[in-house]
Amino acid sequence: MENNKMIEVTDLSKDYHVVKKEAGLSGAIKGLFKSGKQTIKAVSHVDLSVDKGEIIAVIGPNGAGKSSLIKMMTGVLTPTGGQVLINGKDITKNRKEVVKNIGVVFGQRTQLNWDLRLGESFELLRHIYEIDRDEYEKNLEVMDEILGIKEIINKPVRQMSLGQRVKGDLVAAMLHSPEVLFLDEPTIGLDVNTKFALRKFIKEINRVNKTTIVLTTHDLGDIEELCERLIIINHGKIIEDCNLLDITDRIAPYKTLVVEYYDDENIPTHENSTLDKVEGNVARYRFMKNDITAAALIAELSNKKKMKDVAIEEVGIDEIIRIAYGQ
Amino acid sequence: MKNAKIKCLLHTLAHYIDVTICHIRMAFLMIVEYPSNIAGWMISNPIQFILGFATIKFVVEQFGQINGWTYGQLAFLYGLSVISHALSMIFFVQGWFMGFYVVEGEFDRYLTRPLGVMYQFFFTNINIFGVTDLIPGILVFLYGCVESNFTWSIAKVICILLMLIGATFIRGGLYLCLGTTSFFTKSTMDFGQYTQEIMDKTTLYPLSMYPESMQFLLTYLIPIGWVSFYPISGLLGIDSGQTYGLLASVITLLVGLIVLAVAGLWFNYGLNKYESAGN
Repeated sequence: MENNKMIEVTDLSKDYHVVKKEAGLSGAIKGLFKSGKQTIKAVSHVDLSVDKGEIIAVIGPNGAGKSSLIKMMTGVLTPTGGQVLINGKDITKNRKEVVKNIGVVFGQRTQLNWDLRLGESFELLRHIYEIDRDEYEKNLEVMDEILGIKEIINKPVRQMSLGQRVKGDLVAAMLHSPEVLFLDEPTIGLDVNTKFALRKFIKEINRVNKTTIVLTTHDLGDIEELCERLIIINHGKIIEDCNLLDITDRIAPYKTLVVEYYDDENIPTHENSTLDKVEGNVARYRFMKNDITAAALIAELSNKKKMKDVAIEEVGIDEIIRIAYGQ
Repeated sequence: MKNAKIKCLLHTLAHYIDVTICHIRMAFLMIVEYPSNIAGWMISNPIQFILGFATIKFVVEQFGQINGWTYGQLAFLYGLSVISHALSMIFFVQGWFMGFYVVEGEFDRYLTRPLGVMYQFFFTNINIFGVTDLIPGILVFLYGCVESNFTWSIAKVICILLMLIGATFIRGGLYLCLGTTSFFTKSTMDFGQYTQEIMDKTTLYPLSMYPESMQFLLTYLIPIGWVSFYPISGLLGIDSGQTYGLLASVITLLVGLIVLAVAGLWFNYGLNKYESAGN
């Protein structure tokens, strides 16, 4: 059980010191003599543990501390307090050893050489991670099947579309078969097809290699497609750490039944639901999942008035997250 | 146990050499990618130093000597100094652009790879264009050897090699020290030009032409005197106020190692303050 823990974050904090600046020239001059240092707690006392083979999404509004958290987990930032263990080893103390076992993609920047063909960047990584040629070819073959990377391997990175570049970065991060993959907003700015391919790839490596994946995103599709577990961060703290289904049940345990009648006279009500809104001949009933089933509600309502059409709406993940951020 | 440790060390060394070769290969590929750049550098760099040397020639012809240094000896000093400058440009020039690396969050990439950050910082973008600076350096040096009737011996060849390594380290260490301030200031301030000016004014000419307080400063506090003046005085048998003779080259190497080590510690301290670039 013990060695099943891939990532263990304990009491992790990161403070930034910023000099508070006053407006205008007089403010700037004042600042020279009296520096109003301010401490910003980007991440404060976070505990988190991720099992081998899990995919988790870390989400939160801009500036909530997601990036700082991921950057500490990948060894980029030195924590102000606390520690990050990857496979039992402290990343701050054994950086060189630990990073051999992680892959990182920061969606908004690239680790590829801008001026050269993609293959040259892969070749460099092959040397850096000491991957032997057979294993390298084999890995590339597998990744080519989903991402079609060989089509672009001879293209200079500067001539690539964003989608091609992100694919290249993802392959670059996986060449050395790391056990943990960190993805910071991997699908940002990508088209539907590329997003689809990327998600498929992520699911596939998770399934085949049992790669543990930590991703941050603003794309709710990523979360619905990829993750069972959701970490919501705000003001540097984890405010939710839960299963995707659980949070839906807890934050929004209701559904909405939309009924279209033939006319707008005598719209019926039902004691187990609230009539949310009536627009002409269309009525919206909100009901708790525990109080009544959708089928029963439809049956009972249709006894009272003849229906033309019905639809059931569930609360979307975006609504749930919006509510969670607001807490 | 000890054997295993040595084996591990050798493996690490071989790994770094392997990656370095890979970086150099990529640097060549990049030059081929932008061929017009080479033409520009090939022309402008040599001209810069040849003109500089022509200025010395003019001064010496007017006054005969500078502080007891003949024309040939000055060429010898100037040439070797340009050579160590060129070497520092090849291996350590990134120190000049540290501010850019810090502000743009370029260290993220180095920190997530299993190699030393300082190594990656200097060698990922190894500047093989610096070779263009070597050419005028070697030409002026050889000219100086002939003009000053320099007598060669194996000991002197070794001394020249040692002092060149030491001088390159001193330069590189100083670039790194200045650059590291960017971790604290978080500004893109580029120290390149200032460093170049200071280095040129203090290493291309004999240090003895400056006031004594200045010489003291440049010997003990910022050891620029060891980049060219002291070791070359030793090689040419000129009295520099220090009586080390050929040994001065060995001291240069030691000073170089110390400066680079101090710079490395300072750099690693700064790296802890690295904040990446927000997104």
